[in-house]
Amino acid sequence: MNENLFAPFITPTIMGITTLPIIMIFPCIILSTPKRWLPNRIQTLQIWLIRQITKQMLSMHNTRGRTWALMLMSLILFIASTNLLGLLPYSFTPTTQLAMNIGMAIPLWLATVIMGFRNKPKVSLAHFLPQGTPTPLIPMLIIIETISLFIQPLALAVRLTANITAGHLLIHLIGSATLALSSISMTVSTITFTILFLLTILELAVAMIQAYVFTLLVSLYLHDNS
Amino acid sequence: MLQNLMKNVWTPLKPYYTQVYQEIWIGMGVMGYIVYKIRSADKKSKALKGKSFGDGYEIGMGSFS
Repeated sequence: MNENLFAPFITPTIMGITTLPIIMIFPCIILSTPKRWLPNRIQTLQIWLIRQITKQMLSMHNTRGRTWALMLMSLILFIASTNLLGLLPYSFTPTTQLAMNIGMAIPLWLATVIMGFRNKPKVSLAHFLPQGTPTPLIPMLIIIETISLFIQPLALAVRLTANITAGHLLIHLIGSATLALSSISMTVSTITFTILFLLTILELAVAMIQAYVFTLLVSLYLHDNS
Repeated sequence: MLQNLMKNVWTPLKPYYTQVYQEIWIGMGVMGYIVYKIRSADKKSKALKGKSFGDGYEIGMGSFS
């Protein structure tokens, strides 16, 4: 039972060679680039969606922050598409791996911090002390703000990992419970199936929301530092 | 193939890779260093564990010779 429960989170291999690069590149096949002036229906829909998200996400940034448009849009599209594809049965979700999420969070967060210290060093240092702090609290607050700064990438990564992993595990558990109860009591099994249905709808929403939250926080750190 | 790659990828994205994403490259370097340190520490601890287990085994077996 324990083996089966965590089996979806083991990176799949084919004859000892990891298939993770193929899995990560797979969403690119779904998001196609139009080669013609007037693309087909699916491409038009995708382009419209991407433009809407870009407009909404980058409205708060200045010129320097908007140079990160490509990076932020790639990020949100990658996380949303991998999360949504991971809800299909027997699929593997790369974003359940903490290593991958830390690999995404640390470079982006560190880039925003370095950008802040490089372009506006005084303002970046001033972020360590909120305005209006009473004088006796200053040393403690600087320590707390430093710790909260270093926690940011870990929080970004762990938030995504935990949400997606927990959702997948819940679906697996409640699905197994539905199946097990179907031979014992149909009524209870139907109730459990309804819970499973609602949970799947929730997981669809969580998949997209987590992508949005990740990208929004990175863009917020960028806004603070650009 | 390389010419296509240069024409389609490098030429349009050159200003991004060279100017905009400078800090991201630094972040990736730091990330790579962290990964390297974690992996080497893991290898060292596994080697140490294997060695200490092997020593006990050898001592146990050596007493018969």
